[in-house]
Order: sequence, then C-alpha cells, then structure tokens
Amino acid sequence: MDERYLGVFDESKDPSKKADPTNQRVELMLGALASLILVFILGMVIFVFLKGLPSFTGNGISWFGAGGNVDEQLTGIFNSPAEPADYVYEIGAFPLLWSTFVISFLAVVISTVVAVFASIFIVEFAPRQLEKILEPVVKLLAAIPSVIYGLIGILVLVPWISNNLISEEMRESVRYVIQLDGTSILAGVVILTVMILPIMIAIITDSLRQVPRMWREGALALGVNRYRALTTVSLRAIRPAIVAAAVLASARALGEAIMLAMVTGSIGFAPNPFDGFLFFLEPSRPLGATIVDAKEGLSVEPFGETMYAFAAILIISTAFLSFAGWAARRSLARYSIGSAK
Amino acid sequence: MKSSKGTVLGLLLVCLAFVAVPTAAQAKPTITISGSTTVAPLATQLAKGYLKSKAGRNKVQFKILQGGSDIGVADVSRGRVTLGMSSRIPKPSDPGGIVFNEIAKDALCIATHESNKIAGMTQGQVQDVFSGAVRDWSDVPGSSKNGTVNVVIRTAASGTQDAFDKIYMAPKKTFSGASQKASNGLIEQQLERDPLAIGYLSLAFQKGVHILNYQGVPCNLRAAKSGQYPGTRPLFLVSRGALSGPAKRWVDWIRNNKQALNIAATAWVPFK
Amino acid sequence: MSSAAAKRRKAAVRQSRRNAGPPKKIKAKGIWSIGDRIGVVVAWVSGLLLCIIAASITLFMGWKGIQYVTWDVVSNSPVASLEQAKTGGFLDPIIGTLLLTILGGLIATPVGVAVALWLTEYGRPSPLARFVEAGVEVIAGTPSIVLAIFGLLIYQQGFMAPFSFTAVGGEVFGRSFFAAGAAMSLIALPFVVGGTREGLNSIPKHIREASYALGKDKASTIRRVLLPSARRGIATGSTLGIARIAGDTAVVVVLLGASLQISPEGTIPGLDVLRGTGSTLTSYVFVNSPAGEGNAPEKAYAAAFVLLMIVIVLNLVVSRLTKKGQHVWG
Repeated sequence: MDERYLGVFDESKDPSKKADPTNQRVELMLGALASLILVFILGMVIFVFLKGLPSFTGNGISWFGAGGNVDEQLTGIFNSPAEPADYVYEIGAFPLLWSTFVISFLAVVISTVVAVFASIFIVEFAPRQLEKILEPVVKLLAAIPSVIYGLIGILVLVPWISNNLISEEMRESVRYVIQLDGTSILAGVVILTVMILPIMIAIITDSLRQVPRMWREGALALGVNRYRALTTVSLRAIRPAIVAAAVLASARALGEAIMLAMVTGSIGFAPNPFDGFLFFLEPSRPLGATIVDAKEGLSVEPFGETMYAFAAILIISTAFLSFAGWAARRSLARYSIGSAK
Repeated sequence: MKSSKGTVLGLLLVCLAFVAVPTAAQAKPTITISGSTTVAPLATQLAKGYLKSKAGRNKVQFKILQGGSDIGVADVSRGRVTLGMSSRIPKPSDPGGIVFNEIAKDALCIATHESNKIAGMTQGQVQDVFSGAVRDWSDVPGSSKNGTVNVVIRTAASGTQDAFDKIYMAPKKTFSGASQKASNGLIEQQLERDPLAIGYLSLAFQKGVHILNYQGVPCNLRAAKSGQYPGTRPLFLVSRGALSGPAKRWVDWIRNNKQALNIAATAWVPFK
Repeated sequence: MSSAAAKRRKAAVRQSRRNAGPPKKIKAKGIWSIGDRIGVVVAWVSGLLLCIIAASITLFMGWKGIQYVTWDVVSNSPVASLEQAKTGGFLDPIIGTLLLTILGGLIATPVGVAVALWLTEYGRPSPLARFVEAGVEVIAGTPSIVLAIFGLLIYQQGFMAPFSFTAVGGEVFGRSFFAAGAAMSLIALPFVVGGTREGLNSIPKHIREASYALGKDKASTIRRVLLPSARRGIATGSTLGIARIAGDTAVVVVLLGASLQISPEGTIPGLDVLRGTGSTLTSYVFVNSPAGEGNAPEKAYAAAFVLLMIVIVLNLVVSRLTKKGQHVWG
C-alpha cells in the first residue's frame, strides 16, 4: 500500500513543495512584489534624507540650535535668490523641535495614565451595560478624523482658553515677546491626548483580558482586593503591552500635523518652562504643523529642502521610538505573558 | 486568478495608453492661476465675467488656486502655472524673467474693533503699534481702551503683509509676536470679536469693524481712486516673460473692457 | 537528631521570633487601603470621562451638523467668495472624498493582500520576510504629512507627467487625484496587510493539509481555498484602511492641488478627473475653518458632520463584518 496513508509522509511527494513552474512562479511574483514594497519604502526614506541633506550641511550643528527667530529664518529661506549658489539655508530649528517634544511627551504621559485607569475601569469595575457601550465608544473616538478634532479645538477649546484661562495680567507679562490668544500648548496637548487615548485603551484592555484568570484568582484567594489584584498582577504582567501602546501612541502624536496646525498657534516660538502656568498658554508650532503650514511653498528649492529635513527628523524619531519600544518589550517579556502584538 | 490577473493587466495597459496619448488636442486652453488670497476674489469675478462676455465665451478655462503672493510668484517663475496673482510689488529677490502686469489697485485700511473708535493714526503711530514698541492701549493717543494691544497681521507669504511692510512700516519691522492670519476674512473675524485688537484690511472689508483715517485721509474707494489715500498698492497678474496667448487676451480685456472695469470697481480701484 | 542540634534549632526559632517584632496584622479579605480606594475612584473617573468626552463630541457635532447641513449645501459646488453665504456648497468635496477613498482602496487592497499572502504562506528567505514586516511597520508609523511630501517629490518628476498635468512652463504640476490616491494607498496598506494576515492565520492548518491531500498545489490552494476563507479579514483590513483614508487631511492638502471644484485635466472622460485637481471634505473643513483661508465656519461644521457620518458608517461596516461570528472550522 502507498506509504502516505500509513502516516509516513514522503517529503518528495509533498504537493505544497512541488517544484512545478506554477508554484515557483507564484512564489517569485509574490516575493518580488513584497520586495518591491520594501525597496519602495527604503527608497522613500533615503529620498527624503537626501533631499533634506543640504539643509543639514548648510547649517551644521546649529541646525538644532535656537539662534534667531525661526519664522524670520524660514521667510529668509523662502525668499532666497534664484541662483543655487546663493540659496539661504540658515535655520535654528530648536523652537520647533522643543514644541514637538513637549506636546508629544505631555500627551503620551497623560494619555498613558488615563488609559491605564480607564482600562482598569472597563475591565474590572464597569457595569455590564456600560462596558458594552464603552467598546464601540472607544472605536468611535479612534475613528474621528483629525481635522474634526482640529475644528472642535479651534472653534470651541481655543476661544474658551482665551476667555477663561488667559487674563489681562498674563497678556501684559509677555506682551513684548508674544501674544496670547488661546492657541497654545494646552489646547494641543488636551486634544492630542483625546486622540491617542483610544489606541492605548484598545491595546491595554485587550491585553488585560488575556491575562490568565488563574493568576488574578490566586491573588484574590490570598485576600487581596479586586483593585490591588488587578494592579499588582495583571498590570505588571502586561507591561510590554503598555510599552507597545505608548510607543504606538507616541508615533501617532509625533506625526499629528493637521490638528496641531490648527490649534497650537502657527508661530515658531519656544515656550519657556520657567514661565510657570504661562508655559502652557503660549503658542508654538511643532514640526508636523510647520510642514503643513509651509505646504504651498515647497516648490522653492531651499525651502522645500528645509521641509524635507524636518520630515527626516520625524522619520528618525518614529524609527527610534519603534526600536526603543521593541527593546523595552524584549527586556520586559521575561516577566510577562508576552507583548500585545 | 491568473486569467483575471491577465485581464486586469490588459485593462491597465489600455488605460495607460489612453493617458499617454498627447493631450495637446485639447478643446480649450486652461489658464492656471495661483497666488494671493487678496487678488483671488477679484480674479474669480473677472474670470467669470470674461467667460460670460463676447470676447471670452467658450475660449478658455480657468483654474484658480490660492496660497499667497509669494507662492504665486514662485509658481509662475518655475512655470507651474500660467499666471500668478500678487498683491505686492516686485522685490529684488524675486526670480528673474517674470513680468508684473497691473490689473487694479487696492487700499489697505487700518482697522480696530467697533468699540475702539480711534479717529486716525499717523505713520509714526502705526509703526509704533505694529512694531511692538507700544504695547498698551493707554499709550495710544485717541484710544479709550486699556490693556494689551493685540496686533493682527497676515502670514509671511502674503503679499498684503509685504505691501503693509513697505507702505506703512518701512524701515521698521512688524512685531514678531503678532497673531498671523491667513486671509482678510480671518483678520476681520478677529477684529470683530476682540475689543483690544488692531490690524489691517483690504478695502473691500469694511463691515463690522472701525476703519481709521491714515495720515488724516479716510480709507474709502473715492480717496483711493483720487490718489489721496497714501496706503494704496497695485494688484498684479504675474506672467513668465511677456504676456502671450489667451492670458494676454484676458489681461487686455481686464484693462480695457468697460464691463471688466465695472467688475473691478465694485471693491477695488480699476485699472482705468 | 542530637539534643544539641535540637536546642540550637529551638534557639534559632526563638531568635527569629524575637527579631520579627509583634505579629503583623493580616489584612482580612476585601479590606481596601486608602490608596486602593483612590485608585478605584480614579478608575471610575477616567471611565466616565471617556464616556463624557465621546458623548459631547458626538452630540456637539450632531447639533452643529443639523443646524448647518441643508440640501443646498450638499448639492452645490463650492465657489470662492468674500462672504460665507455666497460660498456655495460642498458637493465637489464629497465627490472628491469618495473618489479618493475608492482609488486608494483599489490600489492598496491587491498589493496588501499579495504582501500578506507572501508573508504568511511563503516568507522565504526569512530575513527578507522580517524586513518586509519591518517595512510595513515603518509605513504604519510614518506621519501622513511625510508620506504626502514624499509623494510630491515623486509625482513632480518628469516621467510622472501622465498622472497629473504639465503646466505651461514645462514643469509637472504633480498634484492630482492619482498622486493623492497613490499616497493614500500607502496609508491603507498596513491595515490591509494586517487584516489579511489575521484572516489567513485564523485558518487552521488542517484545512491547508486537506487541500494538499486532495492533490492541489500551493498556488491553487491559495486561490481557491485560502483567499475565499480569508475574505472577512481582507474586508476588515480594507475597510479600516478606507476609513483611515477618508479621515486624512495632510495628503489631500499637499497632493490634491488646491482647487475648490473638481477640475478635470485632459479629454478622456473619467481619467481626466483623476488627472485633475479637486478637494475633499477634509481639506474643505480645514480651509474653511479659522486655520485656512476660507473663513466659513458654518460650512466647515456642515462638512465635518457629513465626513463624520461617512467615517462612522465605514466603521460600522467593519464591526458588522467582524461580529458575524467566527467561522466555525469543523
């Protein structure tokens, strides 16, 4: 009798490994397509970097510095003479980098805390009906386009901040430097937090539910209350997932351009943390918003190259974040049930 | 899968073939215009008028984009559009080979909130306020308000901002912390709701705000036409090299045709 | 055990008891310290805050939408004008949104399915597969504004002229529905890949083995068995991607040209629209808000409401698709 039916499988007769031309052709085609995508992506990254290179080389390390008014420098670059030899590249992008960092960092930190507590609520304490409502609610919040968040921000939040949080004394105290009109870091952080919250909640609730019941029940059996059982057992177990969620959220926060362009003020100003509460009320402009504001001027060579330099910084940051997240997850993976992905 | 893949590929090739066929045999030439948001409403109305008129009916198509005078100049100098709209005069740093063709004039008025009824300002006073030297309304003569002056200007790419700098501010520079808005409409909105704001607007935007006299002359169409008002600036359609073809015909129509001049006269100072 | 050792042991126990101090009070089951109570309160507050935020956003947009959405506004084309009342409607942006999402989806779905297929079914050599996975993740993490200006870079090159139009001076304009659609497909790609992979991975091994046992080779197994079964995953992925495309503004604002109305380019019906410029609901909202040049906030609200409805409907489709219950593999 044929040996196949006796459970001894003859590798050379495995149809899925048939060295027949159709199979090979299909595999080659699909593989080529996938590699093409890879080449395309690599090409994109390299292209952006090459295009932005003149801006970096034209400035050296002072590209990251804070010399001078960024807006004036950008206007200067935009008005460069038409001769390539006379292109102006001078820029000190620190205010933009600082703005990007502050807004993203604050948003991610606040969002992580709120997301963890909200997930604890959803998984453990919410009444049945509320839990059923909250799932689609989170999905809904994740689906709202950023321009709508921006619209609500600029038509509701910004005037509210301007009327209720900014007093005349505050305006007086900075009047020689900047004007406060409601577009601010606060507006940007609040809306950005709301935007990235759903991503984090979705990932964290998913992972919380995947923690084996036995672990929590063991803690409960030892006399620990529900909340403490959740935090000391489940939360610690899903630490890689929390890191993964935070990384995803940071990437989203860094890349958010349209909403921030609408609510943070469009002025290349580096708010001073030593101003106290005023720090949150001062306008600024993160990198993504700068590129959006500058979109029409990209055809002017040196100006376009400066924008590509900004894009390169964004790509580096998101890549670095992904890598850091991967490294963090690996080191935490020993103590837990595994990452969320 | 393979047979359907083949038909899909075939269809794609056919489509590409169609697209690759030179589209030089177009029915109507297109005039693409980009640039100043101040000139855009004027250009739109002139385009509509031209298409309705005997001279222009069925002769051309118009495509009007915005972005700011500087963008218009950059686009046209690189040949991306047929004409650029500019609300500022040529600068030495402008690319070579472009020609600024004037089609109308506009006046820039200094404006404040309705409750802030300042009769007028001199150039020195305007410079003080807009450069950030004077920051409190109590230091501004003629104003009954107290509090921080909220200066509202246009964005850097705007020709109106350029014109304002040249006509009113030179040699001083505008306050770097001023609020920047992307269009006349937005400045108007800010002036309508903020009692402590001051800014500048094109002649057409007079509703709901208080317009100041400048150097003693009121800012209205008559003063602008007669040349009395010092704050006028020309509006241009910029072309790459001398005007030619359908673009030339349109600009000639704008400058000479009575209908066109009437359209311009609604809110601007017409060419003739 | 010798008595000396036993004595030592007892002494040690006595010593440790002395060192331990008074016996610690054992927390009875369910007793909550103050920290825990605060934690629970914060959890409740966060959860309710979430509900309140979602409810207020939806209700607010609904209220504004009902105020400003009229048949006129949905069926007329936008017009540039100084006054808000004369700026027409947003029919062209609606068409633009639909056009762009369909175009992006059409490009992303076959490519995404092919990549996902290769990753799950073949995936050799393995380093290449890891790189492709990483590449898709890079696209997923790249900000859409960066994808947009990269698209501009490509589409403004001379050889891409058929995809937009060539201006009078000989420069390629580089902005058109084609350009924006291609960039949008990049945005949707990771979703399609993820959804397809999930769909394929959820097919148990024995289905594949049964197919091979019947003598089918790999290619036809994929075509006839796996892909049809993975349909739900593919549909989920594409719809998620399309919903994401519908909501994206950065790509539209950079790559679609800035004309209010759809301006076709060329003479071939259909293709001329794709080569031309236009706007979508997202760019319309952006331009008409106080951040853009239009200054027509009422129209912006109305357009935002319509956009929100479209996105919600798309997401409802996704949840219906995933909720239909997992296919029971017998």
